[in-house]
Amino acid sequence: MYTRILSAVNEFLNSEVAAKYALHLAKECNAKLYLCFIAGKGHNFNRAEEALKRLFLQAEKMGIEAEIIMETGDPVNKIAEIAKNEKIDIVFAATRREDITRSFYKGTISRSLLLKLPCSVAIVRVAHIGKIFPKRVLVPLRTGAGTNEEKSFFTAKIAKAFGSKVFVFHTSRSTKKFFHGEIHLTHSELEKKMPEDILLFTKKMEKHDVPYEISLASGKTGKAITIEAFTRRHDLIIMGASIRSLLEKAVKGSPVEEVLRETPCDLIIFKPRT
Amino acid sequence: MKIHNIPADEVLKHFVVPEDGLHQNEAKRRLSEFGLNEIKKVKKKSLLKKLTEQFTHFLAILLWVAAAFCFVSEYLNPGEGMLMLGFAIIGVIVINAIFTFIQEHRAEKALAALKRMLPSFVKVLREGAEKDVPSAEIVPGDIIFISEGDKVPADTRLIQASGLMINNAALTGESEPVPRTAGMFDGEFIESPNIAFAGTTAVSGSGKAVVFATGMSTEFGRIAHLTGAVEAGLSPLQKEIIKVTRIVAAIATLMGVLFFALGHFIGRSFWENFIFAIGIIVANVPEGLLPTVTLSLAMGSQRMAKRKALIKTLTAVETLGSVSVICTDKTGTLTQNKMEVKTIWTASPPQPPLIKGGSVGNSPHDMLMKIAMLCNNARLVNGEFKGDPTEIALLKKAKETAGECKSERVSEIPFDSERKRMTTVNIFDGKHTAFTKGAPEMVLSVCTHALMNGKIISLDDSIKKQISDAHDSMTGKGLRVLAFAYKDMSSKSGVQSTEFEEILKSQLTTHDSKLNLESNLIFTGLIGLEDPPRPEVPEAISKCRDAGIRIIMITGDGSRTAEAIAREIGLVKENPVIVEGHDFLKMTDKELRDVLSKKEVIFSRMSPKHKMRVVSILKGEGERVAVTGDGVNDAPALKKADIGIAMGITGTDVAKEAADMILLDDNFATIVNAIEEGRAVYENIRKFVTYIFSSNIPEIIPYLAYVIFRIPLPLTIIQILAIDLGTDMFPALALGAEKPSPEVMKQPPRNPKERLLNFPTLSRAYLFLGPIEAAAGLFGFFYVLKSGGWQWGETLLSNNILYMQATTACLTAIIISQVGNVFACRSMRESVFTLGFFTNKLIFMGIAFEIILQFFIVYHPWGNKIFGTSPLGINIWLMLIPFAILLLFADELRKWVSRKKQS
Repeated sequence: MYTRILSAVNEFLNSEVAAKYALHLAKECNAKLYLCFIAGKGHNFNRAEEALKRLFLQAEKMGIEAEIIMETGDPVNKIAEIAKNEKIDIVFAATRREDITRSFYKGTISRSLLLKLPCSVAIVRVAHIGKIFPKRVLVPLRTGAGTNEEKSFFTAKIAKAFGSKVFVFHTSRSTKKFFHGEIHLTHSELEKKMPEDILLFTKKMEKHDVPYEISLASGKTGKAITIEAFTRRHDLIIMGASIRSLLEKAVKGSPVEEVLRETPCDLIIFKPRT
Repeated sequence: MKIHNIPADEVLKHFVVPEDGLHQNEAKRRLSEFGLNEIKKVKKKSLLKKLTEQFTHFLAILLWVAAAFCFVSEYLNPGEGMLMLGFAIIGVIVINAIFTFIQEHRAEKALAALKRMLPSFVKVLREGAEKDVPSAEIVPGDIIFISEGDKVPADTRLIQASGLMINNAALTGESEPVPRTAGMFDGEFIESPNIAFAGTTAVSGSGKAVVFATGMSTEFGRIAHLTGAVEAGLSPLQKEIIKVTRIVAAIATLMGVLFFALGHFIGRSFWENFIFAIGIIVANVPEGLLPTVTLSLAMGSQRMAKRKALIKTLTAVETLGSVSVICTDKTGTLTQNKMEVKTIWTASPPQPPLIKGGSVGNSPHDMLMKIAMLCNNARLVNGEFKGDPTEIALLKKAKETAGECKSERVSEIPFDSERKRMTTVNIFDGKHTAFTKGAPEMVLSVCTHALMNGKIISLDDSIKKQISDAHDSMTGKGLRVLAFAYKDMSSKSGVQSTEFEEILKSQLTTHDSKLNLESNLIFTGLIGLEDPPRPEVPEAISKCRDAGIRIIMITGDGSRTAEAIAREIGLVKENPVIVEGHDFLKMTDKELRDVLSKKEVIFSRMSPKHKMRVVSILKGEGERVAVTGDGVNDAPALKKADIGIAMGITGTDVAKEAADMILLDDNFATIVNAIEEGRAVYENIRKFVTYIFSSNIPEIIPYLAYVIFRIPLPLTIIQILAIDLGTDMFPALALGAEKPSPEVMKQPPRNPKERLLNFPTLSRAYLFLGPIEAAAGLFGFFYVLKSGGWQWGETLLSNNILYMQATTACLTAIIISQVGNVFACRSMRESVFTLGFFTNKLIFMGIAFEIILQFFIVYHPWGNKIFGTSPLGINIWLMLIPFAILLLFADELRKWVSRKKQS
């Protein structure tokens, strides 16, 4: 599914760490890796060049075909242009501090990349550089998300690249009744409420020979995900990029934003091409 | 692969850090990427929002609407007393909101206690120079220096270490410092010796390390996040109160609307109907319930404090009563944490007797005592032993049997969790001798010989079998077993003493030198130690058994020792499921769920950090869980559990702040006492709920009579409030102070589906006790009216003296019958005369208050003005008293029938 992978690199360490996910995915998929630096205003050219060199050498060492692209201009438009011209399947980019301190979807570069790129996008938030190879990958799935073929493929390939176990996590909304208030659901009751596509997703993991486990919880999605990641010491979270409108966000909140802000480990926000 | 799995020389490369440290600009850049190295507060509801919620829930909104209608009514139709009623209703909302807020409020101080464990400044290598940098500005990739006494500011990977010993107590709960090295490690990340975690302290030595995680990404941040974010949810009582208030509010609204419509059809004016509807709502709502519940919980917490259980959240008082599983530590909670030597074993039968004050000879027994004394860090200071309880026990026994033994310690390899042994090198009798003690399997693995009958012989399989049998026999008795060994070093080295010391000092810092020193040892013997159970524990466990509460022991001890202790204290009687720490880690949630469903479960060789998972799974299965803890890393589990219990004596500040209850004596029996009190509190709440709800009927029925029979209103709204928020309060509180009955711990934990306001309670209050009181009220009302010459159908103005006296009589009748009711409500089935009529002295104080308040309402001019009353003659009082007696004996008869039916 992925034959051409692009990773955006700049002078920041987290972009280099994010590129390593691209590197390992390229190795697993036997894909060509494009390492690109788009120099905009205020970028430190030398440091970015050093990072590109290091990554290129590592790619060579891993036997991956790699190419460096260095251009100037607006990062989002340039990357979109490269992605179109080079027929890139997936672009990796690291989040910036602004994504965490400000509302994630308030016109940040990450949001623009998710919206404008003609291919799949993986936005990486680097939170813990000590976990070099993620062994425990937490994959929160909302109802309906388990059917996405590309997401399961991406998850399986990342897991295989690092030899990880996948922990599929689904949060159900709390059941409330007027005369009873919030009703506590036991694990077996949560299992009954579990959407079928979660099982579909696990079947795909089985197909790729990726070990998995299912965890269920109820309550607020964002909070439940971070608590699960902290409690079970997960090394990486892969979440779908649900782009909610301002109104939806006000009503339902934004789990992606919550996790982005509080994740204890690296987080990949993944948006499939379709 | 994680950072501990790569060699030290690759660490800098991995983090893209030059040898001379990060440059200022790069540090600044990384600070902007990763943020400050600080413990952040998890975003939660603000205090103001929480307070606002108390004014905006369903019942409060209903009352706000009622108050608003009162003000509109006063504006459109002045002089009907609606203004005062409006303010009274607002008063009810405010009182209820404040009391609920007090119940739920708890200051979050756990994070502040955690923050105190991080340093302010750190020595960092930047641009080739050593700089003091604020701890908050440390970034991933920074090279920091760690020396004796330093607190570690972030999670770091050591790249150099020289005799570095770190106290990990903040993270693991282990008080023994552990050695740290820079070498690569293949095991678990959390146990890696090349990592120094944030919040830990360097006890000795020095090191250089690279920061790889800061702030909330560190292990310390993990604890902080979980402590802040994890919530146990609403307590069972809070849920019940929500249900009760919603049900009552719905009934009240429905009745109000129905009778408004009915009034309209029978031709009453809008305002008459409106006042009636408001009256029905006010009469139905138990205004005094929340203040009474809160005060009753506060009194419960006071009683618990007297029994050495300090309650931090009021609702925890009742939650304790609903606990179905207790996850408890062993050492110090079930046992006394006072080690005693119970068995001494050497491979030289027969065993020599323990001679008090004997001198040290050369037999295996003497040598064993010599090792126990010298390979020991406990000390006798001013006649008091100081140190680790195990070492104190060994030192005591050695001194007792072998007297004093002089020796100079040259060096020491401290105990650590990886080697599970400690070694000292001493100059003893002019010779350098290495003494080792530790876990039998770890000591035996470095022994090649054994001391037997005064001779050193090769450690063959038959001796190993003897040792193994002796070990099994001791652990089977619940003893903690240590093995002891030694080797004489001077004879082999052939070097001068001072040189030898230098060699030792330099060698012991490397891993290989430790292996060299701890090799070819001579096995000497085993000592079995016992941490005696607390004497109160077996009875407390038996109480839990009767009360249907499961106890799960979580201990760092080995399985055999844990099982033996559990049997001794009666915790297990059949074949328990024993899960060891390493198996626990491999288990999936489903497997663990299966294990936790078993009747008897013990977790052995477990670390406190695993408690949270156990608690989460138990809660997921609908259990109500209490968990004990004392360390910083217990905090998340303490927060997650329905009841987190911290140890008052050995507990850290963080654990105490995270807990709902603090055991002032660290004793398991205190938990069971608190559960008993908690169950009594729930029973008592049900008693006063019956009491409070009983008086709703005599408040409602006069209203119905007023609208249906077109009589003057027998009880005004303000008089209803006088009962609900005045006279009823103190007797209800006295019911909340009833002592636990012996049956309270003979019943299984309350079914979560069981309602506080169940059918038997509601029917007793509404269909039995309430109607008697209503009859009393109406009797008083009509008696006064008729005596004053009132004729059926005659209307009376609200300021008519006869009418005011009649309503006063109705109010007085209800209050007098509530006096009989308070005795009736002391039990559901048990006769009040069996309980002891005078056993609850607070009841009499409550009644005295009730009567005094009623005297004020009836006879004081202010009382008359506020409540629209008029003084009554003594004959009216005397005529109403029989109703109280009637109610009490009628309920005694009901109880007798109920007991008969049950038997």
